[in-house]
Amino acid sequence: MGKTMIEKIMKRAAGKEVKVGDRVWCNIDLSTARDFGGANCVLQFEEVTEKKGKVWDPDKVAFTFDLQAPSHSEKVSVNQKIIREFAKQQGIKKVFDVNWGIGQHVLLEHGLVKPGDVILGTDSHMNLLGAVGAFATGVGNTDIVASWFEGTNWFRVPESMKVTVNGAFNKGVCMRDLLTDIVGTLGADGMFFMSVEFCGDTIEKASLADRITLCSMVTEMSGKVGLIMPNGKVLDWLVERAGKEVVDRVKTLSADPDAVYCQELEFNVDDLEPMTSCPDAPDNVKKVREVAGAHVDQVHIGSCSNGRFEDITAAFEVLKAANFKIAPGMRAIVTPATREVMLQCAEAGYIQKFLEAGVIFTNPTCALCTAEHYGTLPGGDVGMSTTNRNFIGKVGKGSHTYLASPMTAMATAVRGKVTDPRDILG
Amino acid sequence: MDKTILHGRAWVFNDDVDTDLIYHNKYLAETDPKKMPQYSFEYFPGKENFAKEVKEGDFVVAGTNFGCGSSREHAVYCLKYAGVPVILAESFSRIYYRNAINNGYPVLFVKGLSQAIKDGKIKDGDQLEVNLLKGEIKDVTNGNTFHGDAVADLEKDIMKAGGLIEYLKEKAAEKK
Ligand code: SF4
Repeated sequence: MGKTMIEKIMKRAAGKEVKVGDRVWCNIDLSTARDFGGANCVLQFEEVTEKKGKVWDPDKVAFTFDLQAPSHSEKVSVNQKIIREFAKQQGIKKVFDVNWGIGQHVLLEHGLVKPGDVILGTDSHMNLLGAVGAFATGVGNTDIVASWFEGTNWFRVPESMKVTVNGAFNKGVCMRDLLTDIVGTLGADGMFFMSVEFCGDTIEKASLADRITLCSMVTEMSGKVGLIMPNGKVLDWLVERAGKEVVDRVKTLSADPDAVYCQELEFNVDDLEPMTSCPDAPDNVKKVREVAGAHVDQVHIGSCSNGRFEDITAAFEVLKAANFKIAPGMRAIVTPATREVMLQCAEAGYIQKFLEAGVIFTNPTCALCTAEHYGTLPGGDVGMSTTNRNFIGKVGKGSHTYLASPMTAMATAVRGKVTDPRDILG
Repeated sequence: MDKTILHGRAWVFNDDVDTDLIYHNKYLAETDPKKMPQYSFEYFPGKENFAKEVKEGDFVVAGTNFGCGSSREHAVYCLKYAGVPVILAESFSRIYYRNAINNGYPVLFVKGLSQAIKDGKIKDGDQLEVNLLKGEIKDVTNGNTFHGDAVADLEKDIMKAGGLIEYLKEKAAEKK
């Protein structure tokens, strides 16, 4: 009987045969924490080891400062300092401070993520690293602390789902729309505890940015991880950063043709339209056309789901088609995922154009995911964002959010109300 | 007193209660678990008074996918340290489940709870009797009973040790 990707990944990490439902102890390749949760980990580790503990391997521990970057309060500043000092003491060199950007993306850009790696982090969207075939998962601080003892942790070997996607997107439609469609079809628990393999024509041709978008939303369907083995240009990109070993990993860890899945789904994107998650849940999905005209106060383009250069380019093209004008009174905010993405935007001349149009272009950060950093919405306001969650009040008590693609978000900023990007792109 | 049979009031929630509703991202900078209960359910429409009114021994009862959303362990601490002895839900989100087990904090998967909540068969303020060993829940107010799933062996061992850290310490001591 053939094996799925996650079975092969866990077999490698556990050093023994595994089957669905088993609890296994896996070796951890990278155990990371962010500024949020990171201080909790450090304080807990110091408490349980009576300040005498050493992390098992300083080279396999990393910290990323992204949720509250740069810090906006004394409390956060103190937390960040706790992490910096701990890292110094422990000889942990992989510290990506407030200037770097969203952790998962920074780790990826630094070649710290390979297919088959088992990676922990204190963010529930850690699993977007499945976009290059890594088994990354969000965990709480206790899991991180536990992994620092001997570099292992426990997992349940999950069932696998296979999602095959074929077809080509029409103008104004993109991977985010497919994803929104999938979330609407499957619902908030449609991938319950599963590992999900994405394949098919559309995926094989997809950019890394698109693969990240796709894998980032598995969490919103209660999935464990979404996996895509790198091929083509994505493989080249990864080999350049993470080394030749990547090629072997892809060979040995790809799913067998006769692997067993608990569910197989097929999607075709040829006739797909722009989609949106309406307030107040990711699975409250409609076509953008159906809610066009609804009032929006603020638009945000960025986040770990849609903050890469390709995403910002797509938004830029919509703004360009509208002669670089946004609606009066509209607050439009663009946030690159990382410093590297920000530099790409600078080089392409986007930043100047965004600023001239009245768009706020921020440093790379997760800040707009929280209600206490900048971009918070007041009660009653409606936002549109390319991030991954829109539960009521998430970014401000009593506020509501639509989730959509960068193109739909920018079209909405241009018109000041929910707008199908095809109305602007023509 | 036998600790495996618990009595208390029910606080009832719907499906897909996400971590921002349990413990809002606004308070993530808090690092002391004992200070977290004061923020429990502050953003949950209609349950804003939970933190003030919850009594030691009260139960949190919910439908499917409880604790979906973020990985914050705050959302477990804020109920644990509020004195809620166990969370009963039709199902839990993956990370929430891990965080609870890793803290030796009991959570029970209870069949039929989501529908029972929708049908008003279990309501806010109902008196419950929970038998942790048998996984049996009796709504004393109206006589309905529910059954929880068995806990897997590894999780049982982690719970018995009092949490993941304690479990690993025990294992390390055994090796020596
Ligand atoms: S952008 Fe939001 S969801 Fe993504 S990693 Fe940052 S905080 Fe998490």
